[in-house]
Amino acid sequence: MMGRRFRSRRGAAALALATGLLLGTQASAAGVGQKAPEFTAPALDGAKSVSLGAHRGKVVYLDFWASWCPPCLTSLPQLEELRKQFPSDQFQILAVNVDQDPEKARKFLERTKVGYPSATDPKGRIPETFGIETMPTSFLIDRRGVIRYVHHGFRKGDVAPLRERIQKLVATRDK
Amino acid sequence: MLRLAVSLLLALPLLAASGCAAVKPWERDVLARPDMAWEPDTLEAKRNSHIRYSKEASLPGGGAGGGGCGCN
Amino acid sequence: MSNCARRHRRKARSRAARRRAQRRRRDTLAALTAGALAVPGLAGPAAAEGLIDRVGADYNFSRYSEGKISSSKVAVGSERGRYDIDMHQVRFATPIADRFDLGLDIVHESMSGATPWYVIPGDDGKPVQVMTGATIEDKRTDALLEGRYYMDRAQASLNGGVSFEKDYFAVNGGLGGQLELNENNTTLSSGLGVSIDSIDPVDTDEYPLRPDHEKKQTYSAFAGISQVLRRNIAVQSTLTYQLGRGFLSDPYKQALVEGEPFADSRPDLRHQIAWLSRYRHHFSSVSASFHANYQFYWDDWSITAHSFEVAWYQSLFEAFRLIPSVRYYSQGKADFYAPYYEQPRADGLYSSDYRLSPYGAISWRIRAETRFRTWRLDWLASFSWERYLSSGSYAMQKVSAANPGLVNYDLFSVGLTTRF
Repeated sequence: MMGRRFRSRRGAAALALATGLLLGTQASAAGVGQKAPEFTAPALDGAKSVSLGAHRGKVVYLDFWASWCPPCLTSLPQLEELRKQFPSDQFQILAVNVDQDPEKARKFLERTKVGYPSATDPKGRIPETFGIETMPTSFLIDRRGVIRYVHHGFRKGDVAPLRERIQKLVATRDK
Repeated sequence: MLRLAVSLLLALPLLAASGCAAVKPWERDVLARPDMAWEPDTLEAKRNSHIRYSKEASLPGGGAGGGGCGCN
Repeated sequence: MSNCARRHRRKARSRAARRRAQRRRRDTLAALTAGALAVPGLAGPAAAEGLIDRVGADYNFSRYSEGKISSSKVAVGSERGRYDIDMHQVRFATPIADRFDLGLDIVHESMSGATPWYVIPGDDGKPVQVMTGATIEDKRTDALLEGRYYMDRAQASLNGGVSFEKDYFAVNGGLGGQLELNENNTTLSSGLGVSIDSIDPVDTDEYPLRPDHEKKQTYSAFAGISQVLRRNIAVQSTLTYQLGRGFLSDPYKQALVEGEPFADSRPDLRHQIAWLSRYRHHFSSVSASFHANYQFYWDDWSITAHSFEVAWYQSLFEAFRLIPSVRYYSQGKADFYAPYYEQPRADGLYSSDYRLSPYGAISWRIRAETRFRTWRLDWLASFSWERYLSSGSYAMQKVSAANPGLVNYDLFSVGLTTRF
């Protein structure tokens, strides 16, 4: 009787451990409610560098993308459309491209032009600080630099709800 | 013996899950290449499978997913 | 069936059989035999393809030609030319809504030629193959529809298909699932499939040994795990189990038992296991990827088989790829197999089919691909040639009397794919 209970406790412990391992540690270095990590990186097009802090005071949509990631490529023209729907002094889109070979990203941008800057980070330091778990991932950051929403992946229908969230944040005027 | 084999088999995915967080989501460039896919050409894979299944004794082994860009 | 009826059929059979072996007939035999036609609805192979994010169409044309059977291996008066198959494959795939995609695969084959019928002892004691009459023509059409649903860390799929020929009809279905763990480094996949087949062999009036109407069901399940090891290395291992029930024999083949032709008679149950492991390694310095696959096969008819395949994907000048590959295959024999039987078996099982005989096969293939962009679409054109040779001497184990019907073939393919 005692033996059976002991075995079932071991079983329960093993199951808990297994579940924990399976679900993985949700180690988000940058989650909702946290301050978005500051970064400065060279721009993909070789112009001035891209810095997150430079856009404090605006609502920022930070998008991590790569030329080898098909959903990322689908999102770019849609994000460009989204950008045009808000005044540029209120809303800014910033992208971080993680291509090991930035030339591939540049080639893609030649075909699909966007009006927002892309930083290049071939070593992946910025996605590391943000704790990216999948490609693409984007962060909606408010005027005070706090992350308000994290978007994993990208699908066609994602833009509409995103627009609503941006609208709400743009409407809020921080003290 | 059977219990050992079964527990090893069940442990395999757990072992894999626990230790090998080897490649980060933004480091999937090489894995996303079409020539790194399990079956780079779907029609060729189906065709080979069909011919071998018809001309030899064994089974088309099928295959699991995984690898690739890991994108959403 | 009673022994009396069996003996009666055998006698009537042998007279007619001898006459027929010498005559040329227009037959409409099935190309690939009933025992191997419809690949059961495994969600596996199709689910292995990545996320479909663009509308695409694929087409491929292949010509399969078997080499003439050598004169030392074929019975006098039998057709030497073998099988030719023209195969058309078409595939349409598209993303649907946000989290779905759909793929449709259609295959159409036209087959013609002669196939092995039964084996007899030759003049010098070595077995020789009696072929079916020449100019067999048949067509097969196959359609498979697969839908997939994507969640954040998981995926589910459902597929269904039909396959039909003059003498064969099959319906299959399957479902599968996939789970990503460990930041997408580990993937677990699993699936189930079923196929329900009905066989209505042709010309059963002329060939009384041939069964009239038969059924067969196949059930399969697979489970696999993929692991990304490095930025440029991934491995995968999949275990598949298949159960076959019903009519598993080849209605168009016979075996010689005590000098008289007997219908190919296999058990009505078969358990099969295949364990497939794959390795992928990319070499950035030379812009090439190495592929290796190994499959171990076992079934309860006593057949074990090994399959090794390696391929080298060499990228050239950005737009080209050259892919040489080599495969080695070896199988053992089914316990009830024999080229012919000197005395009847207690279990009544007989088959002279080379596919249940011990042999090995070596094949090599070269494939060339080119990518280009035109009319705002991405295209890929491909061409490949494969040569396959099988022989008793290629087997891993020693083979004393190889089946004379072992086949060599050439496979030429051209393909074109487009993505919107």
